[in-house]
Amino acid sequence: MAIDTDKIVHAVMHGSRIREEKGIIPLFGVYLSMISVQYYNRISFGFEKKLGNDALAEKLLVAAGQECGYATFQGIRSSREWDEVVRPMIERIEDQIYCFVSIAIAFGWGDLTVHELVPKEKLVIRANASYEAKGYLDAYGKADSGKCYMLRGVAAAFMDLLYGDEYPDGCFQYTSIETHCQAKGDLHCEFVARKTAP
Amino acid sequence: MTINWPEKFARKGHEIFLSGLPIALHCHHYNMNLQKTLESSLGNDGSLLIYQAAEESSYDGLTSFLEHFPKINTVKSKLELASTSYQYCGLGIINFSQIGPIGGRIVSPHSHHVTGWLAKFGKRENPGCFFSRGWIAGALAVIYEKPLGYYRVEELECKMALARECIFEVTKT
Repeated sequence: MAIDTDKIVHAVMHGSRIREEKGIIPLFGVYLSMISVQYYNRISFGFEKKLGNDALAEKLLVAAGQECGYATFQGIRSSREWDEVVRPMIERIEDQIYCFVSIAIAFGWGDLTVHELVPKEKLVIRANASYEAKGYLDAYGKADSGKCYMLRGVAAAFMDLLYGDEYPDGCFQYTSIETHCQAKGDLHCEFVARKTAP
Repeated sequence: MTINWPEKFARKGHEIFLSGLPIALHCHHYNMNLQKTLESSLGNDGSLLIYQAAEESSYDGLTSFLEHFPKINTVKSKLELASTSYQYCGLGIINFSQIGPIGGRIVSPHSHHVTGWLAKFGKRENPGCFFSRGWIAGALAVIYEKPLGYYRVEELECKMALARECIFEVTKT
């Protein structure tokens, strides 16, 4: 069965309209929030500016994204909603990554596609209009380096979940770089995840 | 006036909008990781950044909402809108019953950030609802037609530190 992104997006949109009595959205095994992308961009790029050390800020923000992606998508693939909606679409282990990407699209992170996947070796994800790249361009103009820290970390987390050690010991076994970014003026953003060098 | 929230929460292609402003769905893992990263790297400047980002975000968000709903024009109805919007966005429950234009107290019995922080990191020693503080400051500035930064919001008690509920004090800056 092919991965039905529309069906996954619909399930997320439908589920995210359900709140329990505490005003919390429990969905796909995690607690979801709906916050403006302006907030996230202000946090990430404000942090980068305040820290005054772009390389360290980048490292910390990518790590935050990767650890998040690792825990979030582990929660997601262990959830009842995954079993009901997504699992029937999965025929081989690699299909999970296509489903993860569909969920990331549903979350409003950007227009993502899996461009290349070599099992255990390499994952290439391309993004159009990621909210990070768009937010950076709008606020600061053209960047010198890639600005999609969250998506970059998440791309590596997808590989960690599929090919790393069993959860929770597999995080950071893959590393991602952003080879292209629309914040730099590139046509799309591109993330390449490979095994972390020893 | 009744708001059809699902109608205001809409997709256009891969983007999600709430009353015309782009939003993203994120879970507690990311929100708490960001908070921890900022706090551990920048200390008070990190918590201030979260506060200010949330303040700007709620200010712009509520302003946009009120532009779409001109019939919501009394303080009472605007406070109700803010509270409902907070809940709709999965941020929790917020009680504006003891608030006025010069400040007051706000109680939150449940929140995304408290639930998320306790689930991920456990008890804190100090109050940690920087997002909610900023969100309240921005929302009140819109409701009482004040400029951004007019209100200062402090957290007197916090469920992250195992208080019974979060209590915020609002004063003029």
